[in-house]
Amino acid sequence: MLPTFTYVRPKSVTEALELGATEGAVLHAGGTDLLGCLRDGVFRAGKVVSLSALGELRGVARTSDGGLRIGALTTLSEIAEHATVRGQYLALAQGAAAAASPQLRNQGTIGGNLCQRPRCWYFRGDFHCLRKGGDRCYAVNGDNRYHCILGGTACYIVHPSDTAPALVALGAQVRVASRSGSRLVPIDEFFVPPARSVQRENVLRPGDLLTEILLPPASGRSVYRKVRARGSWDFALAGVAVAATVTEGRVEQARVVLSGVAPIPWRAAEAEALLTGRQLDADTIGRAAEASVAGAQPLAHNGYKIHLVRGLVAETLEALA
Amino acid sequence: MTYYVDAEEHPATDRQGVAQLPPWGETRVVGKPLSRVDAYERVTGSAVYTLDLTLPDMLHAAIVRCPHAHARVTRVDTSRAERMPGVRAVLTGASPGADIPWHIGRQGPTSRLFDTHCRYAGEEVAAVAAETPHQAWDATRAVAVEYEVLPFVVDVDAAVRPDAPQVHEGGNRLGAPRVSERGDVRAGFAQADVVVEGTYRTSCELHTTMETYVSVVRWDGSRLTVWDSTQGVFATRAGLARILDLPLSSVRVICPYMGGGFGSKFEVGKHTIIAALLARMTGQPVKAAVLREESFLSQGNRPANVIRLRAGAKRDGTLTALEGTFTGVVGAYPTGGTAPFQVEALYRCPNVRVEASDVYVNAGRGCAFRAPGFPPCNWALEQLMDELAGKLGMDPVDLRLKNLTTVLQSQGNMPFTSMGLGECLTRGAEAFGWRAARERPPAVGHVVRGVGMAAGMWGYQGEPRSTVILKLYADSSVNLNMGASDIGTGTKTVMAMVVAEELGVPLERIQIEHADTATTQYAPVSGGSQTVLVNAPAVRAAAADVKRQILEIAAAEMQCQVGDLVLADGKVARADGSGEARPVSALRGLQERDVLVGVGRRHPHPEGKIALPFAAQFAEVEVNTRTGEVRVVRLVAAHDSGRVMNLKTYENQVFGGMTMGVGFALMEQRVLDPQTGKMANANWHDYKIPTAMDVPLEQTCVPVDPHDTECNTTGAKGLGEPATIPTAAAIANAVHHAIGVRVTEAPITPMQVLQLLAARREGE
Amino acid sequence: MTDDRKYLSRRAFLESVGVGAAGATLAGVAPRAATAAVQEEGLTWVALRVNGRSHQLLVEPRWTLLDVLRERLELTGTKLGCGRGECGACTVLVDGTPRYACLVLAVEAEGREVTTVEGLMRGEEMGTVQTAFVEEDAFQCGYCTPGQVMAAEGLLRRLPHPGPEAIREGMSGNLCRCGAYKHIFEAVRRAAELRG
Repeated sequence: MLPTFTYVRPKSVTEALELGATEGAVLHAGGTDLLGCLRDGVFRAGKVVSLSALGELRGVARTSDGGLRIGALTTLSEIAEHATVRGQYLALAQGAAAAASPQLRNQGTIGGNLCQRPRCWYFRGDFHCLRKGGDRCYAVNGDNRYHCILGGTACYIVHPSDTAPALVALGAQVRVASRSGSRLVPIDEFFVPPARSVQRENVLRPGDLLTEILLPPASGRSVYRKVRARGSWDFALAGVAVAATVTEGRVEQARVVLSGVAPIPWRAAEAEALLTGRQLDADTIGRAAEASVAGAQPLAHNGYKIHLVRGLVAETLEALA
Repeated sequence: MTYYVDAEEHPATDRQGVAQLPPWGETRVVGKPLSRVDAYERVTGSAVYTLDLTLPDMLHAAIVRCPHAHARVTRVDTSRAERMPGVRAVLTGASPGADIPWHIGRQGPTSRLFDTHCRYAGEEVAAVAAETPHQAWDATRAVAVEYEVLPFVVDVDAAVRPDAPQVHEGGNRLGAPRVSERGDVRAGFAQADVVVEGTYRTSCELHTTMETYVSVVRWDGSRLTVWDSTQGVFATRAGLARILDLPLSSVRVICPYMGGGFGSKFEVGKHTIIAALLARMTGQPVKAAVLREESFLSQGNRPANVIRLRAGAKRDGTLTALEGTFTGVVGAYPTGGTAPFQVEALYRCPNVRVEASDVYVNAGRGCAFRAPGFPPCNWALEQLMDELAGKLGMDPVDLRLKNLTTVLQSQGNMPFTSMGLGECLTRGAEAFGWRAARERPPAVGHVVRGVGMAAGMWGYQGEPRSTVILKLYADSSVNLNMGASDIGTGTKTVMAMVVAEELGVPLERIQIEHADTATTQYAPVSGGSQTVLVNAPAVRAAAADVKRQILEIAAAEMQCQVGDLVLADGKVARADGSGEARPVSALRGLQERDVLVGVGRRHPHPEGKIALPFAAQFAEVEVNTRTGEVRVVRLVAAHDSGRVMNLKTYENQVFGGMTMGVGFALMEQRVLDPQTGKMANANWHDYKIPTAMDVPLEQTCVPVDPHDTECNTTGAKGLGEPATIPTAAAIANAVHHAIGVRVTEAPITPMQVLQLLAARREGE
Repeated sequence: MTDDRKYLSRRAFLESVGVGAAGATLAGVAPRAATAAVQEEGLTWVALRVNGRSHQLLVEPRWTLLDVLRERLELTGTKLGCGRGECGACTVLVDGTPRYACLVLAVEAEGREVTTVEGLMRGEEMGTVQTAFVEEDAFQCGYCTPGQVMAAEGLLRRLPHPGPEAIREGMSGNLCRCGAYKHIFEAVRRAAELRG
């Protein structure tokens, strides 16, 4: 059951920014994560500010530099099926297609997908955990099979989005609007690890609004592969987005970004460094796969993720070769 | 074994005066793949399930539940809740008439409707009735409860330690272990050329029925009408009458459509009693629906099992000894946790010893769940047999064929009325292409395939009590009146087909009333794979009674003997072909009476024999050794469930049971947080059941009909449960075939596969 | 749920925004693009189109489309499974695409065409998907069935001739605990045939 809230549906971005900055306001894009959070009492909403009348925030269009602009309210289905996205930014189409279920993809937006709250079952459940203002992280000594092996400290969530690692791999930027104007944030800088804050997962402040995602002109190939227990609904046990330019078997540049293993989409920087300038052969792939889990610190129940990431990265790089 | 029917009394069947009908030969209607008689209602959404029901002036109930794994309620303050909008009544253990003992089973410690000693997170503490579901839920948030939190235990190994927190006084074991043995296992193992052993663990599984647990209750003076999402209206009625101290004639339970039970809707639930009390307090009807989030905590489950098994065999594969210890993790209240039956009964073995015991933990209590105890036992036994086959260098199917038996060894060697397991194994293997698949060369690359199989059986032949009334109307259309619920297996259709077979009445001219304790006659719960084999013979008997009456009337009018006449295609004719055939509706005797009423009762079970179903299932899997992903590629199921009553619904059951088996094998598991004892995955995302993506596109059903003329007058045996018993073991054996690693703990997740493969690499 | 969560009064009011906006009155219905208006007792008017019919209803903002369909419009064909987008039993079409009614706030459905399982009927005559489900015995208990039917309808409107994998994927947002998936796949294939 949902608790009581008031509801308002602004007809312009300006109105939305005004309302979004008021006391107790939460933004409603597709609503698929919002309603679940309200049902579980993860946070309270005094006022739900619906973005659904803001048609200008929806749609995919070319930018003047040959890149792509994707409105934050574009649904995951629209992105997964969009010809240009599939043709030139495949990792993003695959990430969108891999999320959730068909009905959720018809309703969920890419903005919402990036900003969704963590799926940690302590965070979502009846546990007053650190991220919700309590004094402890229940995953540390609890059942942490789905928690992070990289980037964890104080809090050990994994970032749940499949589109986020794809966008990181593709070098996207996001536009953040507020009452004082708008700014472009490189997607690498959008997500906030627990080392910086356990209260939020991204840089958005109350009153901010993610309006669009900008992709640079496409170069090379990209792919997103997700591993999970069930073939639908499930979030990633681990996933990898790779975007690379390979010329005659030689890697000119590569981005390797992991999902399901860290509180933010995780750039496997050492793996990327190992790949750059090298032939994409079995030896390089093996070493890059190994490097992708360098520094991993497993918890009591999630050591399997190390093997998983290794195998997943190797398999995905092989498919690109 | 039949612990889940222990809640209500079942007197023995009267063995006299029930005439037997000759077995059917070739049938005209029965067996055909006919669409269901209530298909229209279900696919159009016009079927009214209990959760859909609204009565005038109806209130909605919501329940306050204990959030702690173990606690005492020290104070319940409902004052704020009582003042909230729309609230009409608040119910606690202190409310008049609400301090009701709650017996779970017929032995062991009892509890109360609102027990101040809460033994699991989710246990009921209080309830509210309000005008809307939202108002009721809001009010539960406002009930202030104070708890004294107690130490808890949720791990089975911890629960049996002497210093463990006690769920009940007297410790966490439910009495002494139950031992069953025959022959001499020590001698048996001594005779063996090969011995294998293993420890197997299965997880706690939840039913997660699509329709939640819900009752709508209305009092009319001192008479009670309850619409209940139940598998057995008579079981619910018995529970209500007993608990509320009412005569059976004052309680009416109705359930025309229900959205799944799988064993969790065999008994009257606390929410039903709560609704009844709130309805009495308010003078208004009350609907009490358990929220989905709550349903994971308090509505029953399949207990986790720890099974240690040992098998000894001769070099030629003949079993010489089987020994096992079974531990069931039953939760906070008594129930049956394990079923060693298949170890004792599936294979011929002279020396067997099994020991079974159950353990309490501070978690929701188990209950019947589709073949209670059998899939876990099968998971262990059939993997052990697979190990044995490997060690003997024998094909797994051949090993099973070597050890077939035609008698129930655990019950004085009582012969089976039919035993088609051998044919299931050979025809299933053939349909699957088993031999070729086993001999396939090993795969190149990191994605590998394997095939596995498992045999299984179910151990319950049903409660042979059912009374059916069949009315023939003046235009020779009929009304079929039966107590049995159709929980989705197609019961109504099958029973209508029996009528059509006996009387030649087409399905469109059969009106069915069912599952109403006031207007239909007793049938046992629809479950236990007993519904067809218990009820279809009663239907046939009722139809035979009507037929007899038709022929007697016709004989009088046509001036001949009953024996001279035949009934076919709605007409009575002389057997010798002479004279004109007379339509039944033209019989003057029928017009004068306006209706003929036939009564049929289920005949007793055969004396000295037992009718049980058998199965063999085959699985092919694909394993990605780098990611641990396991995909089921195809499934073949060969079932001896006696006569196929309706091929469409039969296949649907088999595919459905295998789907549930895929869940058992690959994903279903209740997870309890070790720090608080609370369930960590109490939602339908984290408690994972198979989706359309998780079942193979290729599923094949091979019915094996042994033409059993002794089990009952229709030749059918149970199907619903055998369909799910061997699936998980078949998949586990296929995984082993693919990667050479055996996963002994269900479910087989990518997590486990990766850990086991890594451990093996390290060992090399 | 945590007991210390503050209970919010039901008598909360909607805000009216927009300089110079007339503000909808009790009798009027705000058009789609405008802000929802202040109403008494925390209720607001919403105009819904369901199965081709218009309805004007007073709703609480927290009521979902599913709540309204079942409790207000008495269209109980759309089923409540989990109420949180994890099962698919409440699948309806919103502007022709399948969605979970439990995750759509009633106020959010304003201005959209909602189709429920009842809306696939022509009087008493079943639609093609329903007919196919009957033929292929694509259900057992039947409780997930309306949701499956709507998901199939949405799939076939988008992809008139889906192959087996596309069917499976299109139906992957609908749980069936009875496990009737195999027959459901057959029914979708059959429905595509019936539609030509």
